[in-house]
Order: sequence, then C-alpha cells, then structure tokens
Amino acid sequence: MDVSLLVAQSMSGLSRGMMLFLIASGLSLIFGVMNILNFAHASLWLVGAYFCYSFWHLMQNHGFGMWVSIPLAALVLAAIGWVIEVVLIRRVYERELPEQLLLTYAMVLILGDLIKLTWGVEDKIIVRPPLVDGPVFFYGIPFDSYFIFVISIGFFVAIGLWWFLKKTKYGHIVRAAVFSREMVSALGIPIPRIYTGVFVLGIFIAGLAGAVQAPVGSITLGMDMAIVVQAFCVVVIGGFGSLLGTLVGSIIVGEVYAFSILFWPQGALVLIFIVTAVILIVRPWGLFGTPMRV
Amino acid sequence: MKMRNLRLMAIVFSLVLLGGLASVDNILAAEPYHLGVDLAITGTGALYCKDGVDAVKLAVEEINAQGGFLGKHPIKLFIRDTHTKPDVAVREAKDLILRDKVRCVLGTYSSACAVAIKPVCQEYKVLHIPAVSNSENITKINFSPYTYQVVPNSYMQAKAVVLGVAELAKKKGWNEYVTIASDYEWGRSTQQNTVNLLKQVAPNVKLKKEFWPRLGETQFTSYITAIMAAKPDFVIGSVASKDNIAWMNQAKAYGFFEKIPYPGSLISVSELIIQAKTLTRGLVGLCRAPFFAHLDIPMMANFVKNFRAKNDRYPSDWAVMEYDAVYALKQGIEKAGSIDTEKVKDAMKGMTIETSRGRLYFRQIDNQLSCSSYLGVVADDPKYPFPIYHDLIEVKGPDSWRPEDEIIAARKAEKK
Repeated sequence: MDVSLLVAQSMSGLSRGMMLFLIASGLSLIFGVMNILNFAHASLWLVGAYFCYSFWHLMQNHGFGMWVSIPLAALVLAAIGWVIEVVLIRRVYERELPEQLLLTYAMVLILGDLIKLTWGVEDKIIVRPPLVDGPVFFYGIPFDSYFIFVISIGFFVAIGLWWFLKKTKYGHIVRAAVFSREMVSALGIPIPRIYTGVFVLGIFIAGLAGAVQAPVGSITLGMDMAIVVQAFCVVVIGGFGSLLGTLVGSIIVGEVYAFSILFWPQGALVLIFIVTAVILIVRPWGLFGTPMRV
Repeated sequence: MKMRNLRLMAIVFSLVLLGGLASVDNILAAEPYHLGVDLAITGTGALYCKDGVDAVKLAVEEINAQGGFLGKHPIKLFIRDTHTKPDVAVREAKDLILRDKVRCVLGTYSSACAVAIKPVCQEYKVLHIPAVSNSENITKINFSPYTYQVVPNSYMQAKAVVLGVAELAKKKGWNEYVTIASDYEWGRSTQQNTVNLLKQVAPNVKLKKEFWPRLGETQFTSYITAIMAAKPDFVIGSVASKDNIAWMNQAKAYGFFEKIPYPGSLISVSELIIQAKTLTRGLVGLCRAPFFAHLDIPMMANFVKNFRAKNDRYPSDWAVMEYDAVYALKQGIEKAGSIDTEKVKDAMKGMTIETSRGRLYFRQIDNQLSCSSYLGVVADDPKYPFPIYHDLIEVKGPDSWRPEDEIIAARKAEKK
C-alpha cells in the first residue's frame, strides 16, 4: 500500500472528522452541562450556513467576503441561541427527556419552514476566495486547501473550549454546575445565567460550523437531517458531555469513513453505525463520558 | 282528454329531459381538469424541481388562457412536496388522487419516488408522467400503461455517454476506469447501464473500482483521494443535483479534473447556471434537455421567452421536460377528444407529439418518448451569463434506447 495514499486518506478523514467535531461539540456541551438533548442543533447549524451565504452575498465583490461572513454568521446564531434559550429551552429544564425532544423536534420543523420562507428552496453557493480554492500539496499529495482551514478551525475550537472550561473562572463554574447545580446555586451563582451562557456558546459553535460548511458545496434544505445522525454517532462514541470524547469520536468517525471508502466503498456508513452500536452495548456512556445523571 | 294529458306530459317530460341534458352538458363543459404535481419541493431534488414547478405553472397558464384542455376544461393545479422520499411521494400521490381527484400525476424528481408511485397511479387508473425521474425501470419492467416518460431514460443517457467515451478511449488509449454514482435507484441504474454498455462497445476498457456515495453526501474528499489514488485513465460519474455540485466543487479544489478525465457526467443547465463561476471549462458533460440546443423550434423559443419573463431566469432541463409533459398531456386529450383518462391513455399510445425539443413520439412497447440526450464541451458563450455546451452532440432517442427484444426478455424474466 502506497504511503502517500494512506496520508491522503487520513487527511481527508481528519477534515471530515473536524467538520463533525464542530457540529457535535456544541451538541455535547449543551447536553453535558444542561442535560438538554437539542435535536434542533443541526437545524441551527444549517441556519448558520444560510446566514453565511447572505453575508457573503452582500460582500461577494470583496476578497474578504467569505472570511468576514463566517464569524458574522456565528454571532447571529449566538443571538438566535440566546432568544431560543430565554423563550423556549428555559421552560423545559425540569421536564422529562421526551418533552425536551418534542420541543426541540418542533423547532426542527419551524426552522425548516423559516429557512424556506427566508431563503427559498434554491441551492445557494458561496464562491471561495482564490486562497482556498485550489489544492495544496504535501509531498506531492494534493489536498483541498479549504480543508486545511476547516481542520485549523476545528482544533482552534477544541483548544478554545478546553481553555475556557479548564482555565477560566467561568469555565470552573460551568463544570461545577455539571456535578451539583444546588451547590453552585447555594454559592449565590445564578444557574439560569450559566445555562443561558452555555446554550449561547453551543449555538455559536453550531453557527460557526454551519458557516464553515457553507463554502464546501451547496447549501440546501435537508442538509441538517443528513448530518444530524452522524453528529449523534460522534457524541455517542465519545461520550455525551465530554469535550475530549467528542474530539476523539469525530476523528474516529471521519477516519473510519475515509478508510472504509478505500477498502470497502459500499460499507462506509455501515461501519460507522456498527462502531456506534458496539459502543452503545459495551460502554453506553461513550469512550470518555461518565454514566448519565438521573 | 286522457290522450291530450298524456301528450302534454310527454312534451313537458321531453322539455325537462332536454333541459336536463343541456345542463349536464354545461356541467361537463365547466368541469375543470385536476392536474397533480408530485415533486421534490424540498430535499435533495429541490434544486431541479423549482424550475419544474414553475414550468408546469407556465404551461397551465398558457393552456387556461385558451379555455383549458379542449378549450373548455380549465386546469386546476395541485402541487405536493415529495421531500425526495418515496414513502412521502406515495402518501402525497394517494392524497392527490383520492382527495383532490386528479386525473394525472406529474413529477417526480427521484426515480425511487417514480417507481413507488407508479403502481398507485395504475391501481387508481390515473395517468403518470414522471418528467424528471429517468430510471429506465420506470417503463422497462412492471409496465404500467398509465405511465409515460418524456425524459431520456438512464439507458439512453448511458448509451449516449458510452458512445462518446468509447470514441475518446480509442483516441487516447484509455484502458481502465472507475465509477462514482449516488447510491440510490437512478445512480445504480445509470451506472449499471453505462458499465454494461461500455463492456459491449469497448471490451478492452476495464472497470477498476466502484464508489457509491450516499444520496445527500456533503463531503466527497475521501472519495476524491481514493479515486485519485486508484489512478484510473478516466472516471464516469452519475451524481445528481446538490450532491453533484458539492462533488464537482470539491473535486475541482483538488485539481481532480486537470489530472483525471471526467467525461459524460451529468452537468445539466442547472449546474451550468449555478456553477457559472466555478465550473471547469473544457469538461465533457451530459444533459437531458438544454434549451439552447433547440432555439430554432418556435415552441422552445416561446417557452424560453415566457419563462424568462415570468421567472427572470433561463429554464433548466427540468423546466423543459415538465413543460413538455403538460403539452404531451394536452395533445393526448385533444387526440382522445375527451378528458376521460382511459381514452387519453389509449390515445397517447404510440402518439407523435410536438414538443419544445421537436416532433417526437412515444414508443409503443414502453411509452418512452423518442427524445435525445446531449453531450458537449463546457465553454463560455457571450450570449449567456453562464457557460453552455459547445460542439454539442445530439444522440437521438431511437439511436440510444434499449432494443425492444431486450425489454421483452426483461419482462419475461421478471415474471419468472
């Protein structure tokens, strides 16, 4: 087997994994801290992609259009996340999981129709700037330069989240809230505000992920449904609420997919679900997670 | 006295009867024709179907401006969304038939949807014209006399590609190739036909590997690197709609098309328009009904003019075929002299029709329209704000469709 082929395939697996990490990390963070399984996470990811398109469309004649559109879309999504948390999510913290799922699934349908009303049903395409619109070569192996940017953003988010949770005071409070909301509350720290902050951060990352995905192909309705299953596979493999688990889970899913295409093209998706099923049976809380709170 | 009374009663009864018949005639004259559209307004096929819906609306407006079918049956349109999912398509088709009482279902996008609703239409004796779906299995096997095809089917398209590719392979000394096709009914059937036909036409050209990305795939990087690593002489693709855009965008970013020839993949007018800035020039592409190939035909010229005036854009292949589907139905009704579905179905059998793509006919054995497939080189054109096909090759329907004896054999094998 040619080494250059293995390198090329592992790079494409890594880029796929990083794209999944960007989606799954927000999902996992929200579940880990707030115990909310946000089924609408991928829909918000898609909204982020559409906002990125809208901003890019306004600035398409400028070379910086795409670079500015990505953070702008993420910020808009953070604002949308704040509204959703205050108006809807806050009211189901104490409810049972099925009720939370019903609410967030309703959001999926509402967001789908809002997207249709706002952006229509036509596919949207962002034209990449020349810097990321061609191949780069590693020892003669071509690689899409845009995915270097994707991988960089993925690691940047991973390190940023790690730093935030481990090294900042606010991060310590968030982690403490995971283990004992009552104790954190007894110290005079307002739990609802912590939850709002975490939800906004999670949706900001979803928006960033959507915006980063936007220039990869075309943006279209239904993309969210295609990706949400794989995002859930990632958090199941890595463990709900574990940042490290989500990162490792994403890379596993990306690499399994990439190498199965090489050796068993027909079974690429099947292998991911087999891995997920095995993890669910052997270690239901995932590779790096802890048993679920009840 | 009694006799006079009887005569009077007979006259009154006759007048009432005549009046009644006249009113029945009026009711019939006023009866609208319910036309159903079952297309993918959302989902993977949405890119193609918006144009289709707009073209159907335009055709209906034009026909209704003349009083409707036969000048007296205004068309009432019922549009439903299949979500590009067979189960939804079946549900919506049943609803169109049972609730909205449609006499014909136009659509669908996905061949899997077309195959799924075909028996439903047959069961309820409703006409079915899947104007975009082109798996040949829609008309080849499980034949339904109610289903008519106005799109070059997957066999015809594969044959067109094979003829072009075989010529190129001979010229350039190609020996090995790989395929990449979307993993669903259309992708599978197109790939299978292409591989089988190429084996017949150019037996020295060998298939090295097959790749099957799922329908709705957004990231093709792993496929691209795996194909490049396989180092084939050329690649044949059967990837459609938004998947095709993602695939081509990402492959271009890898410099894929500069390294590996990619002849005969589906690059419809939708892709030419949407990817105007990014599409690699010089690619040899395939499409089903490009408007620019037939602007010399008045029906096409008018259609393009009206479509642009109404929608402020050029019509895609999908728009052309849906438009032709409505006019095929119109001509069927005119030949039958009635909107009765049984009569229209029988009238359309083997019928020659005027379409925006010229005068074509439905083949008796499978109700397949004798429409062409088109191959050409993607190149800029000063007349359009997007690239079109240059050096266009039109492969006529009768030169590319499956021989009748093979269809008979397939149906016999199916019965066993």
